[in-house]
Amino acid sequence: MNNTTNYIRFDQVSKWFESAAGRFDALKNIDLTIGQGERVAIVGKSGSGKSTLLNMLTGIDHPSQGAVSINATEVHTLNESRLATWRGANIGIVFQFFQLIPTLSILENLLLAMDFVNVIPKKERIQRAEALLAQVGISEHAGKLPAALSGGEQQRAAIARALANDPPILVADEPTGNLDSRTAEAIQKLFVQLTGNGKTVIVVTHENVSGARYDRVITLNDGVIAGDERRPS
Amino acid sequence: MNTKFKKALSDLLINPGRTALVIFALVIGLWGVGSILVTYTILKNDLNENYKRTNPAHVIVTSKNFNRLDLTALRKRPEIESAEFRDLSLERIEVHPNQWIPLWVFGVEDFNNFNLARFYSEKGSNVPGRDAMLIERDGLHVSDLKLGSRARVRVGGRILEVPVTGISFDPAQAPATHDAFIYAYVDKKTYAAITGEPADRRLIFRLKGVITKQDIETITNGILDDFGRSGIIVDTVRIPKLNEHPHQWQLNTLLFLQGSIGLLAFLMGAVLVSQLMSAILARQVRQIGVLKAIGASRVQVLGIYMTMALIFGAVSSVIAVPLAIASGYAFAEFTARIINFNILTTTLPIHLYVYLIAAGLLLPILLSLPALLKGVNVSVRDTLSDYGIGQDANDKKAGLFAKLPLSSTAALAFRNTLRRKKRLAVTVAAMALGVAIFSTGFNVRQALVVLLSESRNSMKHDVQMVLKDQVPLEQALLPFKSVTNVSRIEAWSGGRGRLQTGMVSTRNGIGIVALPHDTDLLKPDIITGRWLKKADELEVVMNQGAMGTFENPVIGGYYSLDIKGKPVKAKLVGVVKEFDVPKIYLDKDQYDALVNPGHLINSLMFVAKDKDFDKVIALKKEIEKALEPSNLGVLYVMSQAERSKIIYDHLNIILTLLAFLAMLVLVVSALGMASATGINIMERTREIGVLRAIGATPKMIYGLFVAEGMVISIASILSGLLLAWPLSIVASSFFGNLMLGNGASLHFAFSNLGFVITLITTLFFGWLASRIPARRAINVSTREALSYE
Repeated sequence: MNNTTNYIRFDQVSKWFESAAGRFDALKNIDLTIGQGERVAIVGKSGSGKSTLLNMLTGIDHPSQGAVSINATEVHTLNESRLATWRGANIGIVFQFFQLIPTLSILENLLLAMDFVNVIPKKERIQRAEALLAQVGISEHAGKLPAALSGGEQQRAAIARALANDPPILVADEPTGNLDSRTAEAIQKLFVQLTGNGKTVIVVTHENVSGARYDRVITLNDGVIAGDERRPS
Repeated sequence: MNTKFKKALSDLLINPGRTALVIFALVIGLWGVGSILVTYTILKNDLNENYKRTNPAHVIVTSKNFNRLDLTALRKRPEIESAEFRDLSLERIEVHPNQWIPLWVFGVEDFNNFNLARFYSEKGSNVPGRDAMLIERDGLHVSDLKLGSRARVRVGGRILEVPVTGISFDPAQAPATHDAFIYAYVDKKTYAAITGEPADRRLIFRLKGVITKQDIETITNGILDDFGRSGIIVDTVRIPKLNEHPHQWQLNTLLFLQGSIGLLAFLMGAVLVSQLMSAILARQVRQIGVLKAIGASRVQVLGIYMTMALIFGAVSSVIAVPLAIASGYAFAEFTARIINFNILTTTLPIHLYVYLIAAGLLLPILLSLPALLKGVNVSVRDTLSDYGIGQDANDKKAGLFAKLPLSSTAALAFRNTLRRKKRLAVTVAAMALGVAIFSTGFNVRQALVVLLSESRNSMKHDVQMVLKDQVPLEQALLPFKSVTNVSRIEAWSGGRGRLQTGMVSTRNGIGIVALPHDTDLLKPDIITGRWLKKADELEVVMNQGAMGTFENPVIGGYYSLDIKGKPVKAKLVGVVKEFDVPKIYLDKDQYDALVNPGHLINSLMFVAKDKDFDKVIALKKEIEKALEPSNLGVLYVMSQAERSKIIYDHLNIILTLLAFLAMLVLVVSALGMASATGINIMERTREIGVLRAIGATPKMIYGLFVAEGMVISIASILSGLLLAWPLSIVASSFFGNLMLGNGASLHFAFSNLGFVITLITTLFFGWLASRIPARRAINVSTREALSYE
């Protein structure tokens, strides 16, 4: 089913981890739907299951039980190869620690993402990458290696990379968690500004989510949804 | 440039030290294996081809009345391909002032037209001319002789000056440098003039369409029967191994050594490259996660890292393949020079280049494939959360070390060493294998040295004088009445060595050594049965070489021998191990009673009173001097030291190669261990940060890692030495059989030198492997170390 309200759907999703210390339930029977174009903040304390939820959504990890579907694709049923292709085309991910490829220049980091997924025509890739870097305000650093950039600049580059294939969904795991407050504020603004054109945005954060940046704030506590606050747009 | 290719390339450049190490490892492996392959290809063909191109004789027959033979009729027989009289007389030649060695003088029928037992002109005239001679080129290495020299040749009591008018090359002969004699070629008239012997007493012929030695024997028997009917009494008949150079055994040993150690070096190199690729991937795990997260499929990730491996392969091939070809040729030429043959392979077969290039390009990919597949199959979640070495939740072994009286640093070193058990196992196994092969190589080398020493020690005389003909004992002793420093002289008929076989042998060419059964001048190593003793019936002891000429001989069995034309039955009572051509030992009294009524002898064994080296050399000179006025036809006068050197020269190339190849394997495996240890430390940069954060000084951390390297080295040495034991026994048995034949085994010997080299090399590499990354790691700031991914 493909509609705007059930664009992302979690059905009774549970995730547990076995360890020497016993079983740890990270997520417990999560039922959740996210509509297309929604901007969602997922908040909660450390260990509440935020990142695990995000991993289920991106297919980085599979649920121990339950189903995750995105735009009618049963994510948990895809094999590794199909999942990688699907993810590259549909989800842009921004990591807390940027995770840029250190041996490639900023521009090449963007091109690499486009080369993998192959949805942007070859001849448009450089132009698109340059445009995205201009949008995030670091076009002058295009030829530099990530190590030559500040944390904020690296995160801008990571956001540009996440948008490289123009995915309909953008997820970010603590995108400002590794930045100072001024840079974090600037990145937050940039993120909202860049993703305001109908993209579904899901951000895991422990930052203050006051203000009008998100349509919805989901609070997780001990692996269950403890709150789901919708805000007027 | 494609971004995926660029990533592969830039990943290589980010850590140039490690990239260089991988390329170095690949170059060493490819170079080693490649040069062995090139040498093998050349040698496998060329010695045999050199030999075959001479059209060697299938049969050599001697008789004193070949004047009854119609050579033209013999040549016309349908089974004969070619036949001629190629006379041979053994004289002596002065190689340095007052130093005489045996000279083989061949009487050749027609230098301009011969197709049998050919030799080639190298320098000067191809026809020696009257009263002149050609000498074989290998003789130049053991003498002062050169083209144009007037060689001093001693025949009985005469010394002749014979001009050397040409240098020839005879690849069918055993190298003169090994056996310390010289080959000369003269025309028939000169032969008779120089040697004083009538010509046409040695017939050589080659048969048509023969495939096996059996074929030759069958046809030869028919021809000999006809000779008998014509009244020709045959003295000896020798059938050399078909299409096999006299020193083919040496080459076979070399080729086997090269093949087996090359394969092992290749395996070591493979482990090393595989380890290094694993290390590179270990560093890349998080990046693989990111690549997958931004849309890379498994195949695409695999493609990137395979490209990396391909770059390694291409760079290594560019360096290693030309080196392999150059060194392969160089080694083949070195071997050819030693065994005296020419390299005929001027261009290597295309398929060899294909193998080398394919090996260079594909091997890094194949070798790293398991690590690559493992790396790309790790889930994105695991890769993104990878921070190097993790704690094994199931590891319950920490308590074991807690009970050992170790300092906390030493305990930590032990535990850390055991953390990545699989890698540790591979590292220790690879290094242990290297140590084992190295030790085996040195142990076999030691076993050969022991063989040499046994051979030397088994002969208790000090100087031996050998005559070319058997003469009465009194006549042989006459010149030495006034020789000093002699405690006693023992007389034999025949003796050790190839030349003696030419003097006294059975009809089918097995050397005879007739000596007092209770002699104390020979203490051979008895493998089975016993030594000779006084007996009523004829008893014989054989060496392994002689055993090979009979079909499954057994101790206590009776065997037919034809000595001096007289068939006798002899009981085999023992087998001795010796590095010699086929020989049969029997009691001199029995020999004399059966076939030597005149009690003739040809060998005098001198025992010195004073065995000091210089005194023995003085004795040898005194014997030579005493011989000058006599008319005795001397074949050689040789001290024990000289005989030992001849045996050593036969083994030297094998000993050298063994040491070289064993060192190669040890270095490759030590590099493997170094890389694995280095990787271990690199992966734990974050842990170093933690250790420093809780108060460890750089010195303590450095000590910790060096201790880990030492633990691995010592574990490898111990395992390697344990493995070397059975390997050495198997290898000694194999080499014994290959070199001595017929199930002979070399004595197991432990090489102290090998052990010391193993210890120093392994510990040094272990220390180096820990030191370099540990030094680098402790120079990183604690903050950087803690944020290391």
